[in-house]
Amino acid sequence: MAGPLAATVEPVTGRERRKRRPRPARLGWLFALPAVVVYLTFVIRPLLLTVQYSFYDWNGIGAATWTGLDNYVRLVTDPELSGTILHAFELILFFSFVPVLLGLAVAATIRQIAQSRLALVARTVLFLPQVIPLVAAGIMWTWLLSTTGLINQLLSGIGLGSLTRAWLGDFGTALPAVGVIGAWVQIGLCTLLLLAGMSKIDNSLYEAARLDGAGPWREFRSITLPGLRQEIGVCVTVTVISALASFDIIYVSTQGGPGNATMVPGLEIYYLAFAEREVGMASALAVALTVLVLLCVLPIQRLTRDGTR
Amino acid sequence: MIVTRRETLTGRILLVLLMVLTVLPFVSLFVTALHPSGTYPDGLSWPSSPQWGNFIDAFQAANMERLLLSSALIVLGVVPVSVLFGTMAGFAFGHLRMPGHRIGFLVFVLGLTLPFEGLITPLYYQVRDMGLLNTRWAIILPLIGLFMPFSVLWMRAHFITMPDELSEAARIDGASTWQLFWRVHVPLARPALTSLGILLFLWTWNQFLLAIVLVDDPAKRTMAGALGAFQGQWGTDIPLLCAGSLLILTPTLAIFLIFQRRFVAALLQGSLKG
Amino acid sequence: MTRTTSGRRPAGRSRPLFAMLALSGALAAAACSAPGGDAPATGTSAPAAVKTTCGTEPVTLKGYFETGFPLPKTLADAFTAQFPNVKWDIREDQFAVITQNAPRVLSDDPPDLMRIPQMSELAKDNLLLNLDTYATAYGWDKWPASQLEQMRFGSNGERGAGPLYAMGLNFSMTGVFYNKKLAAQAGMAQPPQTLADFDAVLQKAKDAGITPINQFNGGATGGLAFPLQNLMAAYGETAPINDWIFNKQGATINTPSNLQATQHLEKWIKAGYLAPDINSQDYAMMMSRFIGGKNLFIFSGDWESGNLDKQMAGNAGFLLMPPAQAGGKQAAMSAPLTYGISAKSRNADCAAFFLNWVATDQKARDLGVQVGGSHPMGPTDAYMPAVGKDTVTASTLAAGATIGKDNGAMDFIANATGAIYAKSWTPQLQKLAAGQQTPQGLLTAVQKDYESQVKG
Repeated sequence: MAGPLAATVEPVTGRERRKRRPRPARLGWLFALPAVVVYLTFVIRPLLLTVQYSFYDWNGIGAATWTGLDNYVRLVTDPELSGTILHAFELILFFSFVPVLLGLAVAATIRQIAQSRLALVARTVLFLPQVIPLVAAGIMWTWLLSTTGLINQLLSGIGLGSLTRAWLGDFGTALPAVGVIGAWVQIGLCTLLLLAGMSKIDNSLYEAARLDGAGPWREFRSITLPGLRQEIGVCVTVTVISALASFDIIYVSTQGGPGNATMVPGLEIYYLAFAEREVGMASALAVALTVLVLLCVLPIQRLTRDGTR
Repeated sequence: MIVTRRETLTGRILLVLLMVLTVLPFVSLFVTALHPSGTYPDGLSWPSSPQWGNFIDAFQAANMERLLLSSALIVLGVVPVSVLFGTMAGFAFGHLRMPGHRIGFLVFVLGLTLPFEGLITPLYYQVRDMGLLNTRWAIILPLIGLFMPFSVLWMRAHFITMPDELSEAARIDGASTWQLFWRVHVPLARPALTSLGILLFLWTWNQFLLAIVLVDDPAKRTMAGALGAFQGQWGTDIPLLCAGSLLILTPTLAIFLIFQRRFVAALLQGSLKG
Repeated sequence: MTRTTSGRRPAGRSRPLFAMLALSGALAAAACSAPGGDAPATGTSAPAAVKTTCGTEPVTLKGYFETGFPLPKTLADAFTAQFPNVKWDIREDQFAVITQNAPRVLSDDPPDLMRIPQMSELAKDNLLLNLDTYATAYGWDKWPASQLEQMRFGSNGERGAGPLYAMGLNFSMTGVFYNKKLAAQAGMAQPPQTLADFDAVLQKAKDAGITPINQFNGGATGGLAFPLQNLMAAYGETAPINDWIFNKQGATINTPSNLQATQHLEKWIKAGYLAPDINSQDYAMMMSRFIGGKNLFIFSGDWESGNLDKQMAGNAGFLLMPPAQAGGKQAAMSAPLTYGISAKSRNADCAAFFLNWVATDQKARDLGVQVGGSHPMGPTDAYMPAVGKDTVTASTLAAGATIGKDNGAMDFIANATGAIYAKSWTPQLQKLAAGQQTPQGLLTAVQKDYESQVKG
């Protein structure tokens, strides 16, 4: 990682060494110390505690009882709990695949007008969903997707009145509807990231392809896609994490309902820990979620990083 | 360049469509906010008599000025400290590269993808035992820790591109490491620092989970947490909720529009490095 | 100069690494003792001596109220008007949010006065103040016992007897509200006398193109619990239901008569008597539609009486759920609007004084009826404000008398345990409404959750 920077080595004279009183190692760690301390206190310690809690049955107030792997067994056997993880995976489809694929399509189509004034305006506009709190996105869309909301109004307007429903209150559509909210939040970021990546691809490649008579599709497949490996990796990583760890949007739009149709690990942890006070069970689910995120993110990083960094 | 006119046109249409899709929820929110308080308006419809007063009501109901102050205080508590600590550690890991820097850095990278939900339960008890529950410190201190992996990573990525010759020159002039850091490296790192500051500002301002778990009083929360409380209290009155949501969004939107170029650049780089 | 190279020397790496390892090791060790060992000793004794006044010093009572219901705030304001040294610091949330927050808030950010959701676990964990001393001091123990029994919690883990842990601001009566105009259109000349009559009205309304019933059932609020429990009481006795709610040993909700009731509700759903989008409606939306004349019936409580008398003056009626057989006993959910004092409250005396004031002060009782729409707490012979004859408020108060005569008062099935509403009734009823759960499956699932919650 240190790269070629350390190539120049000069012998050290004794005088210099004496002048620098704190030894380099100690000095370096002194610089890192504040970061290390806050990190250990507010990330590593809670992380270890989560693992510890997960082996206990604890209501957060009284004394805790050691229960070994019971919480994990329940996590696997209780369909309500394991279902939350399935829901999170289903959300990946919306939070991740849809924005990345659509983003690719849009970015590829608008590549040639990337410098136009329209595109500059679009840069600002498409970022709005990234800037606002997810809670706000949830509130807006809850209203759009309600029985009397804009979506149903539009459907009725184009003669599809039979399709109208309470999107967030319907067992069949609640999870996809939540997914749509996530897709809305992510699509702008993905489009712009991919577009930025495309602008780094050498234009002469495209010109050459055109001269060879390549159509837009071939151009996309043989030039754009390979050139975007890293950006696609980033988009997928960011969006997959946001899907697996989703909380804000669901908290304000469905609270996990109807039934448990939109219950995701993040929300279930919150309910378990603070409403039902099953701190142990909540922690087991938290451990599972953390591991899951790592398991999903590491391979993506592997696949898309080409060792340049 | 060889570009067919049809392609450009499709591109434009697609882009406009995407923008409309992005803006539509905001428009719907705005229009709904103008309907009489307590009604359930139908979809996107302009009210017969726009109730601009809803915004004033929502402003008062939400205690807007207190919310703004609270979020600002939290941001002031989180961002400068995070940037400073992150820069110092990034400098150490990226430039000083003392023994053990790789493993140290790796430990930070590990924290990068941790979902906050995975830590929130012990954090709650930890903050409670520190006696900080329901104070702004309950949000500020954990956030500094939680932002550390990203801050360190971000600043290290910057410092690793700084040529060693730079430091050598300064050392020959007799600068200590501390002076080297402040006089030479920090000024040069300004673009990276600004971007980091912007990202941390945004993430602090929009932090929801920590706010609702660790602080009960909306007037001591972040904007996003306050919005959650506002929905809890006024969620039954749709126009008022919409007006309040818009008000709560306004500061972020305003800051975003003013600093939009830095924002966009920061966000793009931010996700690339993250 | 050499600084940059030193990091590449493997020899110097060990010390900071050790330091890091040692530090995280220390943290891990610190974390190794079992969590929560230092729990406060269990003991549910009431404060020995109490003052029955707010004094004259300035006091700020910290309140945590339920949003959407104006009564508590109105009472608080009226109280301050009479006792200017008492100020309020009030936070409001929706009931579902209060339910989630209750244990956390009571133990770590104790309010002086708080809207209490299901209280068994809160009392068990010593989060609520034992009010027995106040009850004796103010003479609450002389009131009709039925008013307070839902707020008593015994050391055997059953509710209904034992020390008093909360107080009501009033006690509410539930039933069926109807739109008089739409009722006439559906040919309902007089309140139905039997369940079959009621079904017939529903069918006639549907035939006339009117939505027969609208009920909130969305998000975290399974409002179908209202009609379901009414149907349970129509098909069976109230005593076993109350036993179940009070966590009596061996109680079950999974009984043949409750199955019939749930099947009846399913029949309504399948027949299209309920609005199709109930799973997305919250309480406020149901009220807004009912007031807007969009449907014939809703199941709710007399806390809406005052509101309906204002917003639907003359057009809203109230009836109790008819019995299965003509002339049978009638039953309804009736529960105090429960408020409690945190065990850690610093102003417990003043909060208790307020609770007593609400039940005994003439102005407070006026407000309780006019704003709250429900019967105030207190002795039977206490002052009652006059109520307009044809108002909804009058009919809900009268219904209270009927229920009293038939001994048909029940607590809510949603109040059986702290988590039963959010974790069991709400999702199960939402599934039932969507045709994804059978009546038998619903009762079995709820009973299973109940047993694990009562045990744990």
